[in-house]
This record gives sequence, C-alpha cells and structure tokens, in this order.
Amino acid sequence: MGRAKIKRGNTNIDMTAMCDVAFLLLSFFILTTKFKPAEAVEVSPPSSVASKIAPQTDAFMVSINKEGKIFIQMSDDMKGDVINELSTSRNLNLTAEDKKYFTQSLYVGTPLNQLTQFIRVKPEDLHKYTAAGVPADTSNNELQAWINAAVNAYKGKKINFLIKGDNNSKYSAFRDVINAFKKNEVFKYQLVTNAEDVPAGSELEKKAFAGEQATE
Amino acid sequence: MAEMEVKGGGHKQGPGVKKSKKLSTRVDLTPMVDLGFLLITFFIFTTTMAQATAMNLAMPKDTDKPDELNKVKESGALTIMMGKGDVVYYYFGNDPQKLQTTGYKDIRGIILDKKKSTPIDDFFITIKPDKDATYKNAVDILDEMSINDVKRYAMIDPTDDEYKLIQLTEQAGGIK
Repeated sequence: MGRAKIKRGNTNIDMTAMCDVAFLLLSFFILTTKFKPAEAVEVSPPSSVASKIAPQTDAFMVSINKEGKIFIQMSDDMKGDVINELSTSRNLNLTAEDKKYFTQSLYVGTPLNQLTQFIRVKPEDLHKYTAAGVPADTSNNELQAWINAAVNAYKGKKINFLIKGDNNSKYSAFRDVINAFKKNEVFKYQLVTNAEDVPAGSELEKKAFAGEQATE
Repeated sequence: MAEMEVKGGGHKQGPGVKKSKKLSTRVDLTPMVDLGFLLITFFIFTTTMAQATAMNLAMPKDTDKPDELNKVKESGALTIMMGKGDVVYYYFGNDPQKLQTTGYKDIRGIILDKKKSTPIDDFFITIKPDKDATYKNAVDILDEMSINDVKRYAMIDPTDDEYKLIQLTEQAGGIK
C-alpha cells in the first residue's frame, strides 16, 4: 500500500548569504569610516546654514575655547616656513631642534616665552597640560605676530584663515582675533561651524530653489 | 541553531546495521553573523557623516577718512545688538533710545518685515554684539543674514551710549 509521503520541512537555514551581506556591510563601514583626528583643542562650534566644507589644506586656524583662550593650528606643510619667519622677526633664537619639535607639535597654545617647553610636551600628555593660550590683548599681541609670520612666509599664496570658536566663548575674544587679523590686512576669514538645515520657507531656501547659487 | 537536526527523517536502521557516522561539512555560521552585525553596529555608531562647514566672513578695513565710510540712510537702517542671556535688542533708524527687546527666534520676522518695507538699496543692518554676548550669538545673527538674504550688513562694536542702554535694559529686565 502506498502511503502518501509527507514532506518534512527542513529547519536548516542557510546562514551563508546572511553572513555575506553582514561582512559586505562591515567592510564598507570599515573602509568609509574616518576616525576624528585627535581634537587638539576642545571646541564645539555653533551651527550655521553654510554648506561649504571647511578647507583642510593651507589652513591657518585660530581656535577659541570656552574660556576664551586662543590656540593656533596650522597645516603641516606651513609650520616650517612660519616658524622660520617668526624666529627671525621676533629674534627667538630657536635652534634647529626646536624647529623640528615645532613641526611635530599639534598646536600652539602658549605665549612665545614658553614655546620651547610647550612644543616638547608629548601629544599624549597635552591634555594634562593647562595651556595658557596665545595672548591677543593690546599690550602683548602675539597672535598678530603669528599671523604676520604666516602672511609673510606665504606671500603671494593663498592661506585659508579659519576661525573656530566655541559656542560659549565670549564675543570679546572673537573680536580680539578679528582685530589681530585686521592689523595684518587680512579681511577674509571662514568661520568653522556645524552644518544645519536651511529653515523651510526662508529667503535662502527660495533662492536655492530658484537655482541660484546660495550665498555662503 | 542553524543546523537543527531533524530526527527520524532518515531511513530506518534495522537491528544489526552498523551506524556509520557521517561527519557534517557544514559550519555553524551563526556566531560569525552575530559578530559581523556587532561590528557593523559599532562602525555605524562611530562613523561621523557630518563634516565641519565654513561660513565666509569679510570684515571692512578700518578707516578714519569720512569719505571712505559707508553712508546709510536712516530710513533703511536696522541695528541689531546682542547682550547677555541670549537677548537681542534692535532699533530702526539712528535713535538708540527706541531700543526694543526680542529673542533669537523672533528676529527673523523683524528683519523680513523691514526688508519688505524698504527699498532694497537702502536696507542696511548693523550688527553690534556687546562684550557680554557669546560667539554663538554673533554666528547666529550672521547666519540670519544669509538665511534672509541680506546683502548689506556690517558688524561693529556698540557705542558707549548703546552699551549703557543695553545694561540699563538688562538691569530693568533682571537679565543676568
């Protein structure tokens, strides 16, 4: 007698395909992820509707932290020229070793008289070091000297001057920075901000919608 | 889990038939998938899509010569001042005594109203952050300029009189 064969369902699930997808996604994220470069100075910038990506090359960035202290960061290829220029203009008598340390340092965060000690601090110990910031007041405007050195070292070439201020820093610190730039005849800066959506129904949105290039 | 053995499916083994154990070549992939997704989650959370943007700012050169100064029509002038506690003060024309108080949310409407009611060539906004304002306040107002498509604006310090007025208003309003 023939008995109807009941087909038994196989409970085995083939995991291979799922595994493939998982690792494909994994490799995508590993390859596209870019770890934030170690934040030299802790600054949380405000947000704006500006959509232009902040330039990374030939950048001279002045950061203002929440206490209003000023720090200077430069692109690596600029450092050598700028320190040579500054060393001669301010008679700092820096040795070749000092200059080598300077090109390896992450940022400038002290008055010039403490610079040689500051640049010898190892990057991993920097967070323990309470930097005094670059003075920018009227009596001893060293920020102006730094900008001057950068402008002179890069004569004829374009430097991207960036200002990155903390949300809670006072406007007066920002004004000091602007004044230091102005004294060096630098009038164009870029303020580093976080991207934010353009508010719906605003003039800027209508303009962008009309196909015109949005003002930044 | 992926390899659930289904008992009783195979052929019946009679007595005396020696069981020859077949080694399965299948590998249990479940832990591997688990690990894969764990890592994916990690990378999704740590990845930063947002990149810092930059906003252009051009400042004028300081000048003492009166003929180099920009002239602003009184009818088209709007002065915005920022004080402490995220408060905005504004007045039309050139009389600071007519100071009015508002906040960052409402300033957009005021700018737009003024923009609509004045000829485009006369419209001029003066931004005056006082020394108690934060950097964020300044960026917010500059941002309003680009949001509302204001072509002519300048950022300068408030005069002493204006600063006093702001301080008086702050004291009266109890703003710390």
